[in-house]
Amino acid sequence: MADATMTLEMVQASQVGMKAIGAGLAVGLTGVGTGVAEMGIGAAAVGAIAENKDFFGLGLLFTVIPETIVIFGLVIALLLLF
Amino acid sequence: MLAPKPMSRMLIVASRDQAEPIINELYRERLFHIEDYVEQGREGYDGFKIGTPLSGATEASQELVRVRAIENIFSVRGEDVDAKQKLSAPAIRQKIEQDLPGIEKEVEEMAAARSKLDTKAKEYEQKIAELAPFKEIPVDLALLRGYRHFSVLAGYVPRSVTITVPHEIEIVKGKERSFVLVVVAAQDRAQAERELQEAQFQTVTVPEEDGTATVRTAHYTEQIASLKKEIEAINAKLAKIKESHADLLVTCEEAFRAEIEKTEAPLRFATTSKVFVAEGWVPADRTAALSAALDKATGGRVFVSEQQVDTAHDTVPVEYNNPEFAKPAQLLMDVYSRPTYTEVDPTLVLAIMFPIFFGVIVGDVGYGLLMLVLCIVLWKFMKGDETRQFLKILRNASIMSIIFGVLFSEFLGFELPWNPIIYSRHLNIGVTEAGGHGAAIAELLIVSVWVGILYVTLGRVLGMVNHAKQDHGDHRIKAVLANLGWILVMWGILFGIWSMFPIPLMPDMTALPIVAVGLSVGIVLAIVCIVLGVIFIARDAVLEIIEIPTIISHVLSYTRLTAVGLSSVAIAMVINYMAIGMFINPGMKDLSIVGIVMIIVGVLIFLLGHAFNLALGMLDGGLHSIRLHYVEFFTKFYKGGGKKYNPFGMKRKFTED
Repeated sequence: MADATMTLEMVQASQVGMKAIGAGLAVGLTGVGTGVAEMGIGAAAVGAIAENKDFFGLGLLFTVIPETIVIFGLVIALLLLF
Repeated sequence: MLAPKPMSRMLIVASRDQAEPIINELYRERLFHIEDYVEQGREGYDGFKIGTPLSGATEASQELVRVRAIENIFSVRGEDVDAKQKLSAPAIRQKIEQDLPGIEKEVEEMAAARSKLDTKAKEYEQKIAELAPFKEIPVDLALLRGYRHFSVLAGYVPRSVTITVPHEIEIVKGKERSFVLVVVAAQDRAQAERELQEAQFQTVTVPEEDGTATVRTAHYTEQIASLKKEIEAINAKLAKIKESHADLLVTCEEAFRAEIEKTEAPLRFATTSKVFVAEGWVPADRTAALSAALDKATGGRVFVSEQQVDTAHDTVPVEYNNPEFAKPAQLLMDVYSRPTYTEVDPTLVLAIMFPIFFGVIVGDVGYGLLMLVLCIVLWKFMKGDETRQFLKILRNASIMSIIFGVLFSEFLGFELPWNPIIYSRHLNIGVTEAGGHGAAIAELLIVSVWVGILYVTLGRVLGMVNHAKQDHGDHRIKAVLANLGWILVMWGILFGIWSMFPIPLMPDMTALPIVAVGLSVGIVLAIVCIVLGVIFIARDAVLEIIEIPTIISHVLSYTRLTAVGLSSVAIAMVINYMAIGMFINPGMKDLSIVGIVMIIVGVLIFLLGHAFNLALGMLDGGLHSIRLHYVEFFTKFYKGGGKKYNPFGMKRKFTED
């Protein structure tokens, strides 16, 4: 990819850009993953809470379990960017 | 602390004629959690039946229904009224007899009058709706009916219509359908109707009115307005009565409710024709006082005994036993589940650590102050115990946010005049000149991992305590060792990592001497810990082994303390950069109209952006802090599902004995 006309500055700049793309992908894709995972749980939890309000705490707990995935993505993005 | 209040099981036996004084005394003391008697042939309870209500239950219920009906008209609720003075029982009785019937009659009359006016207004609205199609026809409606030789047909058709008999037609074109008014000779009516039917004609009856539709509509609109005015007047009168009598109503409601609860209490006791037996729970430190009080109330004609508590079979009601400052966190515990009687109660940990986690995530003086202001404003408007507790949680959380804001040196994403006292969270956003110190992200992440390590270890230690307290025999040892096994595996993994890679802020074990086959002391220690741990876990439940990766994910999950916090800082800094760097500063340089518009846009971005980030911060801070407890901490040791201690009696607001 690096052709002969590329200067050192250009290579460095493209590295920064690649890092930014990587960080974006890390957050974006893990966000999609979390969303897909929470979709089913959230729907079921809301149904259960509608039946019995006492389920709220447990329902919330189950719903946020996949949240960890996106946090990992966020951590990776932060490590990449800064 | 860390355990629910100790409870005693109490048995009260007395003859039935003592039921009333005993119930009154129990109700007044508000200590006795009644264990409902169920008729299912319990050992030693042959011949006992569920009791019958005391006299006066029916009357009190009827009165309560009446009072609630009036309250509904006013939409008064006990929680919304501040108690000015507490009334004693005789004073209430007197008021109920004197004032209540009068108020009831007045209010009912007014409500009836109001609903009559409402009906009338609805009727007029209906008439206006009927008149609406004729608005475009400038003919007196009286002229459209009462002919002997002509027929008037009015209605809607979806498209044009052709009528072959001699006729007169008026068409008002609408968007989807047209209104037609057809006049035909009486003998042609059948033919005309048939032709109209073919064109999907929908008949509209000609209203029985005199005058043009426009005039009549105006007339009815006027009528409705005057009806509305009358309704307003009645509402104002009702509001006046509400203001002066709301106190009395809620007081009466409370008095009747107390009366009903007392008179219906025997339904929860076991009785024979002569005696009754009440079983229940009392906080252990209050049993002596309660039995003395019962003795006094009955003149010694009662038998009270304290019984053995069998934690394996009885479901003991659970009352929290926390210092005052930890009470609001009980709300968060109840959202998850109340602890059982034999379990460690982690409310104290939650009360201390939840605000700290929240503070670490938000960590901004500006947002903390805004939340504190919000809290104070809401405190003025919101009443009710649970809401107040919730606001106390928010208050603690915002105070911790301010403290961490000072430590992080942050104010709405700006830097305060001092350098961060702990690790910096200032990202290099919008910084053009070199030399900014930037954020210490690696250090912050490692600190949050340390929090995770300590939390998971604490969770497992509490798990050991719980199993040691609750389980019996062989299983007890296995369960305790399994929890120890989890700790060993986690620390084994840590020793292994530390022996292979030097990590800042963590012990460096890479330089330890090598003992055998090229393995250092650290690695050997790690292997021993992990193997031992896995054996301990597998001895309790083999399938648990597949859960071992959760150790890593749970510990790393605590990095959200840093990650979510940094994302909130990043949003704040981006807002500042956009508002000030991109709009306000360029606008200031050139104070023309464009410049002023740019400044206004900049200020708007600033305000909306920070409002958005504040809302996000509260949601994130709260949800993530609570989830770190619920998911990563509680799942290690906490079961919950305890029964709430609900003593017989009422927290009186408006009445007293």
